Amino acid sequence: MIPLSWYLYLSAGLFGLGLYAVLARKNAIAILMGVELMLNAVNINIVAFWRYLTPQNMSGQAFAVMVFAVAAAEVAVGLALVISVYRRRKTVDASEINLMKW
Amino acid sequence: MQLITDNILALILFSPLLGGLIVMLLPSENKDLVRRAALALSLIPFILTLVAWFGFNASPEVDGFRFQQQVAWYPAINSSFHLGVDGLSLSMVLLTTLLAPAAILASFSVEEKIRSYMALFLALETGMLGVFLSLDLLLFFAFWELGLVPMYFLIDQWGSKTGERELWSGMKVSARRYASFKFMVYTMAGSLGLLLAIQMLGVVSGTFDMLALFQSWPGLTGSLFGLSVETVKAVAFWAFAIAFAIKVPVWPFHTWLPDAHTEAPTAGSMILAGVLLKLGAYGFLRLVLPLYPAEAEQYAPVLALLATAAIIFGALSAYGQTDFKRLVAYSSVNHMGFVVLGIAAAAFATGTESATIALNGAVLQMFNHGISSAAMFFLVGVIYERTHTRDLGAWGGLFPLVPVFGGLLIFSSMSSLGLPGLNGFVSEFLVVRGAWPIFTLFTALSMIGLFFTGAYILKGIASTLHGPLNEKWKGHLTDISRREVLVLVPLLVLMLWLGLWPAWLLSVINQAVVGLFG
Amino acid sequence: MTTEILIWLIPLPPLLAFFLILLFTRRNHALSHTLGVGAAFLSWLLGMIVFLAAIGVEHLGEQPFTSSVGWLPLGSDVFSVGVLIDPLSAVTLFFVAWTVLMIFIYSIGYHNFGQPKGEHDVPGLPPHGANQHGHGVPSVEPMYARFFAFIALFAFGMFTLVVSDNLLTLFVGWEIMGLCSYLLIGFWYAKPSARAAAIKAFITTRVGDVFMLLGIVALYAATGTLNFRQILYSPELLQQLASTPSVIAGLSAAGLIGLLLFIGAVGKSAQWPLHVWLPDAMEGPTPVSAMIHAATMVSAGVYMVLRMFPLLSAGWEHGAPLNTTMTVMAFIGAFTALFAATIALTQKDIKRVLAYSTISQLGYMIAALGIGAYVAAAFHLVTHAFFKALLFLGSGSVIHGMEHGVLHTGEHIDPQDMFNMGGLRNRMPITFWTFLIGGLSLSGFPLITAGFWSKDEILADAFGNGHLLVFITLAVAALLTAFYTMRQITLTFLGAPRTQAAEHASESVRTMTAPLLVLAVFAIGAGWVGIPEHFPGLGGLLPGWFHEFVGGTLVANPEAVAFSIEPLLVSVGVALGGLTLGWLVYRKAAEADPLRKPLGAIYGLLENKYYFDELYDSLFVQPAKRLAEGFSYMFLDRQVIDGALHRVAQAGLSLGSIFRNYFDAPVVNGFGDLTGSLTQSFGRLLRKVQTGQVQQYLLFVALLAFGGLFYYLLSVLQ
Repeated sequence: MIPLSWYLYLSAGLFGLGLYAVLARKNAIAILMGVELMLNAVNINIVAFWRYLTPQNMSGQAFAVMVFAVAAAEVAVGLALVISVYRRRKTVDASEINLMKW
Repeated sequence: MQLITDNILALILFSPLLGGLIVMLLPSENKDLVRRAALALSLIPFILTLVAWFGFNASPEVDGFRFQQQVAWYPAINSSFHLGVDGLSLSMVLLTTLLAPAAILASFSVEEKIRSYMALFLALETGMLGVFLSLDLLLFFAFWELGLVPMYFLIDQWGSKTGERELWSGMKVSARRYASFKFMVYTMAGSLGLLLAIQMLGVVSGTFDMLALFQSWPGLTGSLFGLSVETVKAVAFWAFAIAFAIKVPVWPFHTWLPDAHTEAPTAGSMILAGVLLKLGAYGFLRLVLPLYPAEAEQYAPVLALLATAAIIFGALSAYGQTDFKRLVAYSSVNHMGFVVLGIAAAAFATGTESATIALNGAVLQMFNHGISSAAMFFLVGVIYERTHTRDLGAWGGLFPLVPVFGGLLIFSSMSSLGLPGLNGFVSEFLVVRGAWPIFTLFTALSMIGLFFTGAYILKGIASTLHGPLNEKWKGHLTDISRREVLVLVPLLVLMLWLGLWPAWLLSVINQAVVGLFG
Repeated sequence: MTTEILIWLIPLPPLLAFFLILLFTRRNHALSHTLGVGAAFLSWLLGMIVFLAAIGVEHLGEQPFTSSVGWLPLGSDVFSVGVLIDPLSAVTLFFVAWTVLMIFIYSIGYHNFGQPKGEHDVPGLPPHGANQHGHGVPSVEPMYARFFAFIALFAFGMFTLVVSDNLLTLFVGWEIMGLCSYLLIGFWYAKPSARAAAIKAFITTRVGDVFMLLGIVALYAATGTLNFRQILYSPELLQQLASTPSVIAGLSAAGLIGLLLFIGAVGKSAQWPLHVWLPDAMEGPTPVSAMIHAATMVSAGVYMVLRMFPLLSAGWEHGAPLNTTMTVMAFIGAFTALFAATIALTQKDIKRVLAYSTISQLGYMIAALGIGAYVAAAFHLVTHAFFKALLFLGSGSVIHGMEHGVLHTGEHIDPQDMFNMGGLRNRMPITFWTFLIGGLSLSGFPLITAGFWSKDEILADAFGNGHLLVFITLAVAALLTAFYTMRQITLTFLGAPRTQAAEHASESVRTMTAPLLVLAVFAIGAGWVGIPEHFPGLGGLLPGWFHEFVGGTLVANPEAVAFSIEPLLVSVGVALGGLTLGWLVYRKAAEADPLRKPLGAIYGLLENKYYFDELYDSLFVQPAKRLAEGFSYMFLDRQVIDGALHRVAQAGLSLGSIFRNYFDAPVVNGFGDLTGSLTQSFGRLLRKVQTGQVQQYLLFVALLAFGGLFYYLLSVLQ
């Protein structure tokens, strides 16, 4: 068995990448992809903890499945929003979508 | 019937107010209806007062207050809704309920906002009656203040339209606004001390009921609030005295009176001079003398001095007037001075025969002055409505144009002057007789005022009726109308009746005076 | 009906007439004068019945007719008022009833009843005459009914005064007469002079009245009653009052009360110094002058002094020196008698001479009382009423005759100026003879006239009791009286007419001349009831009834003074001498007064009445006006008291403004405003955080989240 920590490093790395994408990328779709990465990293984390610490419980698996579902829904809604914004403002650049400012 | 006689005082007290509310509900376009309804409604308390009068036992053996009614009001501080009459208050109630219909009948010539006018008048009547009827200090004060508000509006809204008073730095206000404001604020300033003193009395004695206070308060000894009882009583005495002194009015607190009386509408002046001034004197008799006999005796010379000043300066100022209404207003100061002189004499020498005579004279003078000054103000109002001026120099020789008015003016003037045979003399004689052994110098000095009374009355008559006819008025004057004569008739009858045979009123007053101070 | 009930009824008919005339019969002249004269007649009838009953009673002074009723309940007692007829009031009632009735009848003719209305007559001015058949005739008085109403009220006042049994109702009658004198002197109110005279009369008598009121009050306070019988007939009470000191040093209680009451009489009876109103009172119609100045009002003053004589003389006995009050009375009476007589010498108006003569004669009576000659004073009061009323009514008749002449000729002269008259004796015989009788009586023509007997008795009393100064003064005054009376008669009736109007004067109507005749009878006969017993010859022929009867009013019936020849000689001498001198000086008088040149500047002084009117005006009237308007009203009230009030109000207003401007607005208001503006500036500052860029917000969230997480981990894993 490879040690649990390796999975955690992986998920941490993936999470960090995803966080960087969300915070630093201009393209809104890239931001959404970053969010997906973060969610998946979290999933890996959940599954790893499940497998290594409480394999007999169903809760880990159930939680991971819920995250899948939520991520999918969220992506759908997010993409719909981005398309709607693109139709209106002809751009997917996140720094240009700043109407709600002071 | 039993229900009426059991609650007669409450009925007398509240029927004008209810009448006022009814008047407010009438349609305002139908002026005649409003006027007649107000007159009819104001006759109800008068009839009830007559019922009470005839049911009043005036023999000296029966003591105390009659027709008493007591309903709990604020039990926590021992203040109840307590009404009652003795000879003193009943005579004042009779005066009030008699003058109110006369004044309302006199107001038939008012044209604007009649509903409000009549309603205010009737509310005013309740306020005045409440003061005379109440036997509880808080109730007394409530009605005391209540009487101010309608009078303020009457003067301010329906008072004389022309005229200005200059204040300071060239600031000018309309005369009626000035008069109403001065009247209200001045009286309220006096009432401030009164309220504080009443509250102190109530708190210290644990009750606001007058009858209980008459028993307990004068004999109080020891110390209160860290001061001796004498000091506290002296301060409270002055608080009471100043409030009432402003109302009477006692010189030098009198300057509101000429302004208020002159600028008020005719009926307003009638009630102001006829009844409102008596509230102050009544306060002295009902509250100050019984509650503070020692302080009253101590300070009676001061009061007598001020009374003499009122008599003299009131008469002098009246003589120096060119405005007829203001002349009559100052005559009120002069006549009320006699009332206060009688009260002061009685306070100084309580229990003696002279004191009783002086008090009889003072109360009778209150009634007589109410009648004669109401008649005089009304007559001035009559000539003002026809000539639109009150300036004595603007008339001249009007007797041939208005003979009936002239005759009535002379008759009323003689009553005001104190001509023997008419009512004014009896009361003035009794006051002078009562005050002479007690305050000889002041009584002698007051004769100066009596002398000038003749001077100013004759000045009024001479400028108005006598002398060469002022051609300007020929053809422009109508004589006094039947309605106006009707206003005067009860007053004139009383003047003659009380002058020739005053026993019917004097016995009632005497009973009260002997019972209270004998 | 008992006599007492009749006495109660005496004052009532005129009072009733007053009300009825004023309320109902103002427009009907005949009905009004019928009511008036009828009432006067009723009172006369009742008066006569009572008088006859009174003189039939032995010792009426001890058992007078009295009746009283409770009037004012005071304390535990009742103050009673009532009626009293004792000898004094009986004789007063007699002359009052007669003179009043005569004056009422006279007024019918005086005010020209039955004459046409004048075209230019207005109420308030005397009638000017009407045009009838081309020439002027007298016109009826426009205010005819009102006149009768007022004299009826006047009669009521006098009768009330006479029948009263106490000082209070006496004072009531006194003042009612004062009111009526005001109304009647100012009867022609549209004339400024009449208006002024009325006010002057009222005010001057009021000066006396306020002192009298104090006297009444003092008496009431000292004795507990005002009833004459109770006070004046109790020697112990009078003695006590005379010995108690009063508030004024040196004066006993009786003295103070007496002086105060006397001042009232000084005003009412027009003695110096309160005499100034009476001559001006001639502005009223002549019946008024007769009423006021002869029959009633001025007599009331003397009557009151007579009535209160026991009090005024308390502490004095016959033969002893006079007490303070009596000294004052004697001085004022004698002085006034002479003072007024000197002025009467120079007056041109026929009524004014009589006015000053009245003042002078009243001075006689007061002086008589001052020296204790009670009966003499009462006697003179009675006779004077008759002959003075006669003289006044006679002068009214003369004036009417002159006015008739003026209307006839159209001359513009004063019908009352004696220097416009002359020779009227042939034109107006009845008036002449009755006036002559009256004048002779006034002068004291010996033996046949009433005035002689009463005046002689005063002089005799003064001489006999050693009051020589009073005697001489009164004697000189008597001389002047005879002089100016004859002056008056000569100028008016004797000689030749001086103007056309006098030539065309005519005798007056019967309603005017009949009363003159009746009064003339009394002017002669009234004296015979008082002939003293010791008089040589005539004494004892007719009983000295008056002295016995009226003397019985007092507790101690005064003794008649012993007869001595000197006063009699003086009295006859001055009367005849004065009359003769007057006739001699004036029988050839034309336009100017023959005395003017010889007397020089003194004449001017007398003619202008010693300038007393001007003196009083500058000393009292003008300062009073300034005091009233300038000081009391404008200064004291408006500047001082109102000024103080306004300053309080101003202070209140400034205080309020200060609070508003320096505390309320900046501090309280400002605090609220500050809170708002601070919040605003914070907001403005903080809003910059909202950039609208999602990634920035996410960055903040991430930082905060990780920061919090690290903080938590660090603190937990400590």
